[in-house]
Amino acid sequence: MTTLSTRPRPRTRPRSRTWLSLRQGRRGLLYLALLGGGLIWLYPFLWALGSSLKSTDGFFSGGLNPIPSEFHWSNYSEAWTQADFSRFFVNTVLFAMGTVVVTLLATSMAGYVLARTDFPGKKIWLGLVGVTLFLPHGYTIIPVFDLIQRLHLLNTLWSVIIVQSAGGMVFGTFLFMGYFTTIDRGLEDAARVDGASFHQIFWRIMLPLSGPMLATVGLFACITAWNSFFIPLVFTLSRPELHTLSVGMFNFIGQNSTAWTLVCAGSVITLLPIVLIFVALQRYFINGLAGAVK
Amino acid sequence: MSLLETRERRRTPQTAPPVAARNGLWQRVRAAKWSYLYLAPMAVLLLAFVIYPIFASFGYTFYRWNGIGAPGEYVGLANFRQILHDGIFWGAVKHTFVYAFVLVPVQLVMALALALVLNNPKLKFALFFRTVYFIPVVTSAAVVGVVIQLMLANFGDSAGGLLAKTGVTNGHIDWLGDPNTALAVIIAIGIWHTLGYNLVYFLAGLQTIPAELYEAAKLDGCGPVQSFFRITIPMLRQVGVVIVVLAFIGSFQVFDLVQVLTGGGPYFATEVVNTYIYHLAFGGSPGSAAQPDIGLASAASFLYGLLLIVFSALQVLALRQISRRRTAANQ
Amino acid sequence: MTSSNVSRRGLLRTAALGAGTMALGGGLSACGSGSPSSSADALTYWDWYVTQAPWVDKEAELFEKAHSGVSVKKTTQQNAKYADLVALANRSGNPPDVFMIPQVPSVAEQVAKGWLHPLDEWATPKWQSRFPEGTFLEGANVFDGKVYSAPLKGSAPLYQLYIHHGVFKSVGLTNADGSVKIPRTWDEVTSAAQTITKKSGGKSYGFGFGNADGIGVLAWWLDLFVRGAGAPGGAPTGAATGMDYRVGKWTYGTDRAYADFFELFVEWKKRGFFHPNSVSLSDEAARAFFERGKFGMTVGGVWNQPEWTQHKFTDYSLVTLPSPTATPKGYYYADPVGNGSFAAVSAKTKKAREAFQWLDALTSPAAGRRWVQDLNGVSVYPAGNDPDGIDSKPFAAFVGMTEQVLRGPVPLVRNPELAGVAPGAPKPDISDVVTGIYTGQIKDVQGALSSLADKKFQILSEAVAAVAKKGKKVSTSDYVFADWDPTKPYTTKKA
Repeated sequence: MTTLSTRPRPRTRPRSRTWLSLRQGRRGLLYLALLGGGLIWLYPFLWALGSSLKSTDGFFSGGLNPIPSEFHWSNYSEAWTQADFSRFFVNTVLFAMGTVVVTLLATSMAGYVLARTDFPGKKIWLGLVGVTLFLPHGYTIIPVFDLIQRLHLLNTLWSVIIVQSAGGMVFGTFLFMGYFTTIDRGLEDAARVDGASFHQIFWRIMLPLSGPMLATVGLFACITAWNSFFIPLVFTLSRPELHTLSVGMFNFIGQNSTAWTLVCAGSVITLLPIVLIFVALQRYFINGLAGAVK
Repeated sequence: MSLLETRERRRTPQTAPPVAARNGLWQRVRAAKWSYLYLAPMAVLLLAFVIYPIFASFGYTFYRWNGIGAPGEYVGLANFRQILHDGIFWGAVKHTFVYAFVLVPVQLVMALALALVLNNPKLKFALFFRTVYFIPVVTSAAVVGVVIQLMLANFGDSAGGLLAKTGVTNGHIDWLGDPNTALAVIIAIGIWHTLGYNLVYFLAGLQTIPAELYEAAKLDGCGPVQSFFRITIPMLRQVGVVIVVLAFIGSFQVFDLVQVLTGGGPYFATEVVNTYIYHLAFGGSPGSAAQPDIGLASAASFLYGLLLIVFSALQVLALRQISRRRTAANQ
Repeated sequence: MTSSNVSRRGLLRTAALGAGTMALGGGLSACGSGSPSSSADALTYWDWYVTQAPWVDKEAELFEKAHSGVSVKKTTQQNAKYADLVALANRSGNPPDVFMIPQVPSVAEQVAKGWLHPLDEWATPKWQSRFPEGTFLEGANVFDGKVYSAPLKGSAPLYQLYIHHGVFKSVGLTNADGSVKIPRTWDEVTSAAQTITKKSGGKSYGFGFGNADGIGVLAWWLDLFVRGAGAPGGAPTGAATGMDYRVGKWTYGTDRAYADFFELFVEWKKRGFFHPNSVSLSDEAARAFFERGKFGMTVGGVWNQPEWTQHKFTDYSLVTLPSPTATPKGYYYADPVGNGSFAAVSAKTKKAREAFQWLDALTSPAAGRRWVQDLNGVSVYPAGNDPDGIDSKPFAAFVGMTEQVLRGPVPLVRNPELAGVAPGAPKPDISDVVTGIYTGQIKDVQGALSSLADKKFQILSEAVAAVAKKGKKVSTSDYVFADWDPTKPYTTKKA
């Protein structure tokens, strides 16, 4: 290893002008390739967007061409009002928000307790949760359905929220657990010396400090709830006014499978919000994923 | 409570001497009452809606029940026996394994390649590209399936027509209706849909490799290929194991995509285990008017779950063996 | 972080949570399972009628005008999911007030499970007399002497072969006078398909269908073609249907008609007569394709017609029972009064009287005539089936096909104790098998057919045995009518 001041020249790179421009050319090609790849990658969405603006006949003849011949914005208003997508949208928003709130509350509280306190049975509990991850899950929708029915919650949005949140408990709790373990104990201890109670420590200090993790877990919960299909389907079966976007789409297709342009408009209404939310807050989501894997 | 006492309390081992056990335990439970309270919401949700149903559905495996009313007919292990002899079930298992074993290598290689490209610090807009390639992940598989189905339906001019003109294929191809191409199409879409996850994981893993290693290698005269194999791969081993295991587990759970694209057809050519279980549990359509059979579906689920546990265990063992042998060889 | 910051954040958070919960609570309580969302007297009605929806909506309008204060709230569910949804709704204790009776489970089972409300309070013998004689049959819509439903549709051939005039004319399949040459035998159908596929330059195919929805479209093809060849069971999908009543068994593997047709079917596929996308097209999309002439012939039922007529497409004809020979050796069979049941009132309804009134409106002669005029099908009332006054030529032709439906044996009439027999259906069923043969996944056609026939018979025997155990006098020989000639009407006598 030579000293930093005099680095030997790399043997294979003459620093001529042509070489630099070649490198830039290569880099430019790379950008082009990535961009092209990206376009192909996102093609289905672009196609859905373009097709949602076509007329039915235009759709039929246009095939894979994403550019509509005319712009039928009316497809969106039709989907929104006649096909009830406005109601599905509201339901999905309520459902997602509800799931986020329940998930954040339950997992942050549990994660804190598991990370920072000791209590009899803690190891047993952790072990049990770990084992459940590996148990074969069986066909659990029926017992869950039974339980919800006995609680008289069937066909309400609450049932969907509760069941969906339950699914995210383990993941969220582990994330919060990991996060809270990394927070400096000194803060907690200082607060306790100052006479803060257990509750005050959690709500006033720990929770606010866990902002990034709140965003991450909240985002995960929001996205999975938004895209959830099976659970809303089963629990709001006989109340079409409670359907979420994915279920509404599914039903819509069954009844009107040749209203292709409306189906595309409905798809865009379903896909666009979550993509926008993701793009805006992607930092949290991706850091959460990366952290989990590490 | 002073700082010192708090620390000492934590250092006390959990197991108190047996004679005073009961007193100590009860006192500790009472002292930790807030812990229990705070744990409660998550615990209740988990117990009620995840853990209890697993056991309850295990109970169903011993009955013949069509989901209406209460389970009546006790049949013992008959459901398990029926599943073991069910050709469609094993076909579904085969399809699921094919799906996983094609998807995982192809997707991981692609993801790694892309991650290597995007990891280059001199590349501008790396964040932008990362977002672009990740977007399919946050989209609902059900809605994506609908869009893809429409795209492949060959209305008007389409890819099928183009391919036919170039002579690669002869005539129209019914991508999702032809048993020879349907599974391949589903795998391709599966690869596209979840590649973002592995891209992010690999990027995270690559970022843990210190840049100095690469520089040192360059100075020693290593080309890019060599440094890839001598530095990148070994350093990624640990996170790589996790990625591979997660990828397999994820692909074994495929359901939404298949159900929306082909419903398992044609004639079970693309039936995977989860769609088959779903069809068993909720019955077929009037077209294939099979009655729902919850007991059978639960039995199939458990059998499949056991298969997966065994497979995951084997996988982890195998991967650990490989990495141990490689580290031994390197040393 | 100063304490004031912390407390403000905490306050904001609690406020947001509180507001959120209240909003959720408010929004959600309105959606609680107990209270219906619209007026207190809204009858909830479920069906799967997509193309027939205009008729239902009009009936609802007329009903609401005649019964002020009562409104009908209709939900059309997907055909393929309908049975599951009704089952789930009944399980959840919140079924619709009136619903079309799903095909699974059997009506007998639905009565046994307490899903249906007996209608005798209003369905008096005088009310029943407006229907043709023999409409109310123990085991079909009457159970234990109580009436549970009444039919809407009459009997006409279930499936027909639809011929697209434009396509036929464009490839020259016309008679001397310019009218379209309608194929009636298997050979004529084959040669028509060949001409279309060869001569249209890739624009059209001979045949097409839409198999994606899982409603078993390919079984329709089998059913339509084998009957004329002498297989009176046809190939309907559904529990305990499709038997050859001469021997009381399924004859998929033994009756030559099936094997002969499959030979032809596979030949058609090999020679490329089918539109290549058929397997993954939805049934509705296939209707749209047919309209646009992408293929010349398709198999479907009268439910295709309203949509085509709505789109002003009427340039097509229909034939039924294409056979190897000029005259069919088998027909469609029904009890003369259609399939007996249409919709029923839920046992859990709180508005039984209004629910029955709605049912009464739907099955009235006037509604039946409107059903026919809307080109939905044949009414159970013969008077409603007058071709005069029907604009659509194809539909008039359909209505005229009622002679292709003969009276056939009805095991239930001979032995009413069979009412409790409720066999399931195997999976794969005949529709799956036909699909598998079409795609080439099933190579041993004969073997697959025989094993399916045996399986169905085994399921039936088990179901019969289960009922026999409860003390009823039933056996599989109740399904044997050795004296039946499928080419002539048959009157079932009570045993």
